[in-house]
Amino acid sequence: MTAEPLLEVRDLGKRFAARAGRDAPAWVIQGLSFAVSDGEFLTIIGPSGSGKTTLLNMIAQIDTASSGTVRFQSEAAPINDAKSLNPGLSCKIGYVTQEDNLLPWRTTLQNVLFPLRVQGRLNDKTRAHAETLIKAVGLAGFESHYPHELSGGMRKRASLIRTLVYDPPVILMDEPFGALDAQTRVQLQEDLLRLWELGRKTIIFVTHDIAEAIALGDRTLVLSRAPAQVAGEHVITIARPRDIRGIMGHPEFGMLYQSIRAQVQ
Amino acid sequence: MAAQSSDAAVELRPTPGRGALRSRMDRLLVLVVLLAIWVALSATLGSYWVGSPWGVVTRLGIDLWSGIWHALAFLAGTGWTESALGLMTRPTNLASGGEILIHASYTLYEAVAGFLIGAIPAAALPFLLRRLPIVTAIIDPFMVGGYGAPKLALAPLFILWFGIGIESKIALVAITVFFIVYFSALAGIRALDAKLVQMAQVAGASERAVARHIVFPGAVPYIFTGFRIAMPYSIGGAVIAELISANRGLGYLIQLGAMNFDTTGVFVALVAVTCIVFVGNWSVDIVERWLLRWRPPADARAELKS
Repeated sequence: MTAEPLLEVRDLGKRFAARAGRDAPAWVIQGLSFAVSDGEFLTIIGPSGSGKTTLLNMIAQIDTASSGTVRFQSEAAPINDAKSLNPGLSCKIGYVTQEDNLLPWRTTLQNVLFPLRVQGRLNDKTRAHAETLIKAVGLAGFESHYPHELSGGMRKRASLIRTLVYDPPVILMDEPFGALDAQTRVQLQEDLLRLWELGRKTIIFVTHDIAEAIALGDRTLVLSRAPAQVAGEHVITIARPRDIRGIMGHPEFGMLYQSIRAQVQ
Repeated sequence: MAAQSSDAAVELRPTPGRGALRSRMDRLLVLVVLLAIWVALSATLGSYWVGSPWGVVTRLGIDLWSGIWHALAFLAGTGWTESALGLMTRPTNLASGGEILIHASYTLYEAVAGFLIGAIPAAALPFLLRRLPIVTAIIDPFMVGGYGAPKLALAPLFILWFGIGIESKIALVAITVFFIVYFSALAGIRALDAKLVQMAQVAGASERAVARHIVFPGAVPYIFTGFRIAMPYSIGGAVIAELISANRGLGYLIQLGAMNFDTTGVFVALVAVTCIVFVGNWSVDIVERWLLRWRPPADARAELKS
C-alpha cells in the first residue's frame, strides 16, 4: 500500500430522507471505511440491498453522504449537501452504472463519443482512440446502430467504452455484467482485464458474484448486510495476466471462494 | 481481439409485408362501405339533405382543374391561355373557378400561422421554466384553466378585438394549439430519465449540454404527440372562426352553402377540410418518423395506432 491512498472512505454513513408518516429511516451504510490506492483493481461484494450502489453513487458524488468522509486525492466530498456535489469530480471519476444508460436517440458511435463531445475534447486523436476501443470490444460494424438495435451485451460494451474513452483515472463499475448470460459475461470480463492491463487504472468494481470478484480483483472487500460495513478483506495474489476461463482451477481460488462465501450472508 | 461476439444485433425495421398490405386492403374496404352508405343515404333522402358523392367529386374536380389551369395560365402568361389549345382545354364550368382552392388556402394559412404562433412558444416554455419549478407550479392552475376552457367560446371576443379578418382566426388557432402543446412538452420534461442526466453529469456535461443532449431529445416524442393532437384542432379552430364571421375561407364556404341550401357545396367544403387534416397529419407523420428514427419500431407502431 502506498502511504497516501488515492481514494479514502472513512466512517461513511448514509440514510435516506424520511418520508412523511414513517419512522426515522434506517442507516443503509454505517461506519464503512476503506482505502484504494492508485492503479488498484478493488472488487466489492455484498448481499443485495447492502448499499453497494449507494456507496458508488456517493464516491461519484451523484449522492451525498450522511456522515463520515469520502476523500479523493485528499479532497473531501460535501456531506449532507446535495447542492455542492460535483458529479464525476470534473471527469476524474468515471462510472459504469448497472443499466447501460445509453442515449436512445444517439447511435453507438455518438454514444461512445458523447463524453468527449460534452467535454469539448473531440478531435481526430480522441476519435481514433474511440474507434480503436469500438473495435477492441467487437462493436465494429455497429457504429451507426441505435441502442435498441443492439443486444444487451453490446449495449454493455458500448457503455463500458463510453467511460474508457475519456480516460478517467478512477472508474467505478456497478455490477456491469450482472444481467448477462454466462458466456457473454466471461467475454466481457476478459475484455475488461485486457483493457485494464493496458492502462492500469484504478477500478472499484461492485458485484454479487464471488467468482467474478476473485477473478478480476487485486483485493476484495466483503460488505455486511445493512447497515453495511466491511465484513472482510481478501488480497488476491493470483498472478496476472489471468485466465478467467480457467481460474476456478487455480489452487488459491477454492480457499478464497470458501472464506468469502462464509462472510457473505 | 474479441470480435467474435456471441450476440448478434437484433434485426429490426421489418419491411411492410403481408400485415401492412392486409391492413391497407381492410382500410379500402371500410372506405368502400362508407362511400356506399353515403350513396345510399343521398339516394334515399335526396341531395337536398345529403349531398351526393358524385356531385361533390365533380365540383371538386372541376374546381381543382380550373385552379390548376389558372395557375398554369399565371405561370405561362396570358398569351398561352388565349391560344387555341388553351381555349379548347379551358374548363367549361368556370362558375367556381378555383374557388375552393382559394378558400382552402386562406383556411390553411390561418391554421399554419396560428399553429406556429401557438405551438412554438408552447413547446419552448416548459424548457425555459425547467429550472424554475416554483414558477411552473404557480402558473399551473392557470394553464389547466386555459386548457379546459372552451376556446371556441373565445371566437366572438377575438372577432371583437382583431376584426373579422384573418387575425382573429389566427389568434383563435394559436390559443387552442398553445395549451395542448404546452402540456405535452411539460409531460416530456417531467418524464426525463434522471439516470441519463446523472450519467451525462458524471461524463462532464454542463447544464446546457444536458438540456441539449438529454432533456430536449427526450421531450421530442411528447412534443410531437402534442403536435399530432393539436393539428386537427388548428384546422377546426380556423374553420369555426370562419363560420362565425368571415368573408372567405372554407368555414365561410360552409356557411354560404348552408344559407343557399346548397348541401353539396357544404359537403364539398367539408371534404376539403378533411383532406387538409389528412395532409397535415401525414406531414406530421413524416417529420416525426424522421426525427424519431432512433425509436424501436414497436413503440412507433403503437404510436401510430393510438
